[in-house]
This record gives sequence, C-alpha cells and structure tokens, in this order.
Amino acid sequence: MRRGQALRVGLILASPIIVYFVAFFIYPLYTLFQNAFTSASGAISLDNFRTMLSDPLLSVSLSNTAYYFVGSVALEYGIGFAVAVLLYNYTGRLRSIFRTAIFIPLMVSPVVIGLMWLMILNTNYGPLDYMLSFFGAGGINWLGSQSLAMPSLILANTWEYSPFVFLIIYAGLQTVPQQLYEAASVDGLTRFQTFRMITLPSIRPSIVVAFLLNSIGVLKGFDLIYVLTNGGPGYSTYILSFYTYVVGFSFFQPHYAAAIALLFLAIIGTFIFLMLRFTAVEDYLGLKKGKGE
Amino acid sequence: MKGLKVLKGEIGWLKKNGLQVLLVVVLTLVCAVYLFPIYWTVVTSLKTNSEVFSRPPIFFPSSFTLSNFYTSADVFRAVSQTAVGSVPWMIDSTIIAVVATLVSTFLIAAPAAYALVRYIRSSWLARLILFMTMIPEAVFVVPFFIIVAKISLLNTWWGLILVYISFSAPFSTWLLMGFFNDVPKSVEEAAQIDGLSPYQIFYRISLRLVTPGIIAALILSFISCWNELLYALVITYSPFPAGAQTVPLFLTSFIIVEKSFAWGGLAAAGIFTMLPTLIMGIYAQRYLARGLTLGSVKG
Repeated sequence: MRRGQALRVGLILASPIIVYFVAFFIYPLYTLFQNAFTSASGAISLDNFRTMLSDPLLSVSLSNTAYYFVGSVALEYGIGFAVAVLLYNYTGRLRSIFRTAIFIPLMVSPVVIGLMWLMILNTNYGPLDYMLSFFGAGGINWLGSQSLAMPSLILANTWEYSPFVFLIIYAGLQTVPQQLYEAASVDGLTRFQTFRMITLPSIRPSIVVAFLLNSIGVLKGFDLIYVLTNGGPGYSTYILSFYTYVVGFSFFQPHYAAAIALLFLAIIGTFIFLMLRFTAVEDYLGLKKGKGE
Repeated sequence: MKGLKVLKGEIGWLKKNGLQVLLVVVLTLVCAVYLFPIYWTVVTSLKTNSEVFSRPPIFFPSSFTLSNFYTSADVFRAVSQTAVGSVPWMIDSTIIAVVATLVSTFLIAAPAAYALVRYIRSSWLARLILFMTMIPEAVFVVPFFIIVAKISLLNTWWGLILVYISFSAPFSTWLLMGFFNDVPKSVEEAAQIDGLSPYQIFYRISLRLVTPGIIAALILSFISCWNELLYALVITYSPFPAGAQTVPLFLTSFIIVEKSFAWGGLAAAGIFTMLPTLIMGIYAQRYLARGLTLGSVKG
C-alpha cells in the first residue's frame, strides 16, 4: 500500500477518536483555561492564581495530598510487594484460591469500600475497636479525630489498592526465567543474594509500572474521602481532588475551581513526564515496538 | 521405638516443608484480612437491627434475616420517587454504563487503536492516549459540568453517558492497541492477497482476533462506569425529578441519611451495588489483569 493511501485509511479509522479528542479533551481543556483565567465577571485576569497564593485551605489540601500520597503508596507498595513474593514462593495447591481472594478488593466499588470501613472503624459497634480493646487500645474515634482520620483513610485505601501492586509484581515474578535461578543455585548464591541479584533486576518493568499506576490511582482518589470523612473532621482530610470539587460545587466558585484543577493537572503532568523521562515505562505497558512490524 | 521413628519422620517432613507450611499460614491470614470487610458487610446485611448495634459485635450470627434486603429496597424507593420503575437506580446505571461502554469500545476505541498500531504509528499519539487515561476526574469536573449544562443535558442519561465516554474511550484505546500489536502482520497480508480491502481486514479479521481484548475493554469500561461517583454527583445532582441517578449516587445519599441508623439496610444496598461488578470481575479475572494494569501484565 502506498504511504498516502495508508494515511487515508488510518485517518478514516481514527476519525471517531479525532472527533472525541476535540470534543472531550481539547474543548474541556479550553473551557478549563478560559475559566481559570477569567474572574467571575468575565474579565480576563490572574486573580484566581493570586488567590491561590494566599489560600490557607489550598495549602492544607496540598500538604494533606502529600501525606495521603506518601502514606498510601508506601503502605500499598510495601504490602502488595510482600504478598506477591510470599505467594510466589508458595508452591502448593491453594495458589489460585489465594490469588483470587487477594484480587477481590479490586472489583469492589469504592463507595461500597467506604461503607465497609465506616462500619468496621465505628468506635461503639465496629469489630476493629472490639478487637483492639483486648490490647487496651479500645475507644479510639478513628474517623472523628483530626490526627487519625487521615491514617484511617490510608488504611481503607491500602485495602483497596495493595492488591493492585500485588497483581503487577506477582505477574512480573512469574516471567523470571527458571534457568536464572538454577544458575544462581549452581553459583551458590544465598536466598537473599538470589533475590537481590536475580529477581529484582528481572522484574524492573513491573516495579516501575506498579509505582506509576499505584501513584496515579492514589492521586485520582475521591470516593473514599467523600464517603468516609467528607473532608473532615475540620479540614484534616481535604485532598486536592476533593478540594477542587468543594470549591466548584459547594462554594460555587467555578473559576477558582478551574484554576485549582489546572494546578492539579500540572502536578499529575509533571509526575507522568518525569516517569516517562527517567524510566522506560511506556515500553513496559504492552506496546513494545517491532512485534507486529 | 516406633513412636520415635514416626516423630523423626515428622521432623524431617517439617524441615523439608516448613517454609511451605509457614507460607500457607501467613497467606491464609492475609486473605482473611482482604476478605474480612466483605464478610462483615454480608453478615451485617443478614442481622437484625439489635444484632447490628450490639457490644460485643456479633461475628457469627446464629440466625439470619432477609428483611434488610426488602427494607433497603423500600428506603431506596422512598428516596427515589420516580416513575421509571421499582429499581430505577439499577436501570439507570445499567443503561448509562452499557451505552457508554459500547460506544467507546466499538465506535471509538477499536478503529482508533487499529489505526494507531497499523497506519499512523506515532509514539507521541500513543503517549497522548496514555496521558488521557491518567487524568483525574476532578480536573475535568468543572468544564464537563459547564459543557453539559450548555447543551441542556444535566440530569439526563445522555449527559452522563457523554461524560463517561470521556474516560472509557482512551482507556479502551490504549488497552486494544496492545492487543492489536500482538496480531501478526502476516495474517493481514494473507487477507490482503485474497483481495480484502483494509476496512474488511480490520472488521473481519483483526477485530475477531482481539476478542479477549474486546472482552476486557467491555468489562473494565462497564465496571468503571458502574462505580463512578464524582461526575455522577455533579452531572445528575438533582433527585427531583430524577432523570438519571446511578447506584453509587443513591448509595452515597443513603449513607449520608442513614449513617448512624440502618446499617443492615446499608449493607444490603452495598451488596446490591457491588454484586454485578464483583461477579463479572471474578469470572473474567484472567482477561482483566492485563487491562487493569494498562497492558503490563499479560494474562
């Protein structure tokens, strides 16, 4: 097929997504900029960005987002990774049952996850408080305390998202060629040395992808906060996604909300850019060139 | 003597399999932690109100009641005085998720993914699609509200369907690009020699060969539409007249009203909400791993 003809076929097949791209990406993006750079009266101004500099709620939301992000990703990554290694080393018959059980939280709708933890974390009638009371740690108001609300959210989010890290790392572990392990045992490497020198380098793609997708998933989060704490108590669980919504639809300041959304987009964009720049993450996402060529 | 021999044998077995035994114990505990919230929700939905609010909490109820399921349906009905039917939230959610999923998968994603893999290979376009799958809903929630209001589709099925297409289309495109990329070119070349046009090759040959990808895209897109909350909160905010209200939206308003009271009913409603996606997810587990991880896991 000639190049010109190939391009024409390609463009015809891609025409729906081109329409989509203009209507669902460029136009909303334009609307976002248009709102962010105008004041409520419609005049072009930088007021929204000036407001951001002196908005105490925004700085609270930003530091809460950092807390939520670091806490969630650290726990989810650590637990997901550890469980994956445990299951990989187990060779018995229960393997697929364990795998399915750990997969299940990924399929539960986030609103329902919020409901579950609302009941579990309840101080008076929840099972967690009852169990903790045997260790003398009962009577804690998990969701109602300024200092514990965020850790509670992180706990619920870890239940939801650590299986995701598990899934990626576990799949990665299964792709390590068995010969490498045989060679390692011939060379007399200890278990730990084998893990550090054979396993870890082999699953580098999974390690990077799990980090990227886990991070994006945590930053996107909204439902759990809305259901479990609704930002409270006080402003202790306001994170960026929740604050954008509140400014737009509780404070009814769409222009300012658009400016915050742009800041949010810039943060996500920078994060993705850095990941693409410093890791080969896109090659790991199932689009390696050459296979179909 | 004999006893000692048996004991020695046991110790030898334990030495050999000790790690495996330990792993079974630890993994069982891990799975118990992951399954406990679901167990707790199911058990709560089967308790009477006095059993729900008891201290110590009842972990293994001796009797079960199904009244929460009827009651929850009634409360839902009371919240949603619509003419659509007895379960409008389920119907709304199903229609919105199905239409958005079909349109984004077959009309937008499949031809686009094929074009991007076979005809317009550009790493920049691929990156753009990838980026679009990662934009948080909160970023576009204000512009989408403004746009949907402008075309007078607030509180309608169509308004929410359009907005849901916005995130399911790039996701399905990226997913299907990976699958089309795995189709050997020789198959298509053979079809070309047989005299099929490029469109016929796409529709009759390649599309059929990526059926697992299509299934994964359909299910995952359905699940994300079914579960979505933020856009639903904003686009279909008004319960009266309820033109369109999805299940998560109903559940959240139910939670806000009944947070401290009808836990049994809430748990039952939660089970209604999660059951369809849970069944689909477990059933299609193998297909979904690749999709959930944007193609990094080949299931």
